[in-house]
Amino acid sequence: MTPTAASDRLRRLLFLVPYVSKHPGRTVDEVAQAVGCTRNELIEELDLVTLVGHPPFQPDDFVDIYVEDDRVFVQFDQRLSAPPRLTAAEGVALASAAAILEPQKESALSVALQKLERVLPEEAASRYRELTRRLDVGARGADALSELTRAVVEHREIEFDYVGVARGEREQRRVRPIELLSHRGQWYLRAFCLARNGERLFRSDRIASLKLTETTFTPEGDGKAERPVTETGKSVRERVEVTVRFSPALAPYQQERFGDAGRLEGDGSLTVTVPGDSESWLVRWILSFGGEARVVAPEWAIRVVAQAAAASLQSL
Amino acid sequence: MDRTERLLNLVAFFLDARAPMSLDAIRDAFPDDYSGSNDASQRKFERDKAELYELGIPLRYEQKTDDEDSGYLLDREAYYLPEPGFSADELAVLYAAGSAALTSGAFPGRQDLAHALRKIGFFADTPIPAAQVRLEVSNAKDLAARLETIWAAIGARKSLDLDYFSPRARAATTRKVDPWGLALRRGVWNLVGWCHLRKELRTFHVNRIRRVTLLGTRPRQPDFDIPEKFSIDDHVANWPWEYRIHEPLEVTLSLDETLAPLSQQLFGTPARGGTLRVTVTHLDALLDQVLSMGTSAKVIGPSQAKDRLRERAQRVLSVHTGAQS
Repeated sequence: MTPTAASDRLRRLLFLVPYVSKHPGRTVDEVAQAVGCTRNELIEELDLVTLVGHPPFQPDDFVDIYVEDDRVFVQFDQRLSAPPRLTAAEGVALASAAAILEPQKESALSVALQKLERVLPEEAASRYRELTRRLDVGARGADALSELTRAVVEHREIEFDYVGVARGEREQRRVRPIELLSHRGQWYLRAFCLARNGERLFRSDRIASLKLTETTFTPEGDGKAERPVTETGKSVRERVEVTVRFSPALAPYQQERFGDAGRLEGDGSLTVTVPGDSESWLVRWILSFGGEARVVAPEWAIRVVAQAAAASLQSL
Repeated sequence: MDRTERLLNLVAFFLDARAPMSLDAIRDAFPDDYSGSNDASQRKFERDKAELYELGIPLRYEQKTDDEDSGYLLDREAYYLPEPGFSADELAVLYAAGSAALTSGAFPGRQDLAHALRKIGFFADTPIPAAQVRLEVSNAKDLAARLETIWAAIGARKSLDLDYFSPRARAATTRKVDPWGLALRRGVWNLVGWCHLRKELRTFHVNRIRRVTLLGTRPRQPDFDIPEKFSIDDHVANWPWEYRIHEPLEVTLSLDETLAPLSQQLFGTPARGGTLRVTVTHLDALLDQVLSMGTSAKVIGPSQAKDRLRERAQRVLSVHTGAQS
């Protein structure tokens, strides 16, 4: 179960030779990346591989792998034409990672998992089934995650209704998905909104009536977020700071969340200053602590929270 | 010959072999590696064989009628990874999920995952597109290393010795735990296991585990069994109102027409005609969720829940209007 350093290296080497066989002439950097090591480590591995042979260890009995002009070649080696099969642990790791995206029946992901299970060696299959039961990553949100994944991977424009929960609004959007990200257990879709002509973040649990269109697009850039994500999950556009104090009862838990950013007060309460970019987010967030969190600054923020609480009381 | 080199040579040797190889034949082929007494070289070869087995390379012993023909062999058919036959889309989503888990920095079995991703990408003729899925897991110090220790213990069914920090008590207690499973919920890793200190099945936030080590000296012998009907999901909260604070209580909510279609996503259960029932063991957590939805969500009953909601709304109002400071 716990791979030793030697076995980890061995797994890499048993992949390296078949990989170079299949892709002769790739550059040293490309091969290093594919194998998952640095350039220098790869050079060392290549040296080791050339020592591999079989008795009686005559010159022709060794694996003939070499670098020429910064490109890696191997004399085709029948014995190492493909990597070894997946181990049970490798299969479990992959299946668990896939489960994060809550694959729906017959989605590309669940079909891929079935194919994966088919290529597991027989003796690994039962261990695979046992271990997958020991690692559970499925959120039970039943968000449109499976479909959103498909849209992101296939670069398809999508349409949906986006619901502003606190304001009771519902807006139709058509967007080009860029990235799906999970922040503190909440999934967000980062997408280019065609109506607003700009990039926006959408909470997956606020997306209703999702439809994948037949329109595809070419993604720009590398698909990585340029802007950091705040507590609200939105990119920071205007930086508005709000100072909040948590009651002594809640302080220890919020301290876990905010770490050094929080200041513990004499009475056991915890003060934190967080960036917030919208009034509706702030109101929702403070109300979700049911009176155990108090906004101390700025003045406008205290006022809007009080108004929202008053409105809720009135509606009861 | 160092260990990696010897193991690699063994693989090559067995892939070449056309007949079962006796231990004598193996010792002849690797005279420097398996020298010494028969017992010593047999033990050394057994360790190497076990290591190869863990890597998915099983050497089996074949007994022939004539002892001289008996020996170890590697089933070549079973060794090579067959082409899984993924479509481009299937490979892309599997890769996206795998890379998201890998780059999160806190996923058990990271090495296995990295090797698995390499293998499934082996047959791809075109480069696999860059992943567009990202997973951020609450990343406490040393979380990745602790997850690996716990995951290894789960796989081998070995007990753990750990220090668990309680934020309420602001102190850690040392306990022995039999790890039964790991679950990721709302960005936080949970360990479900039998706690020898409390003598019951408990759920631990891995973030709050300050120190963890594998117990026991016989690594290949399991310390405990896990009941067949055990399911991790029964022991971890999917929603904040599922934390076990009090006896189960059924609460009825109503949602306006904007929120009703999102009921499944927001409360884990669909709304019929705008109303839904949620069973809670931590009422305040549900009420706070309702409160944060403004006037779009309401509590219909029971009265105990309605009263408590009023109390909490009142409290928010008073702490923000200077009634308390």
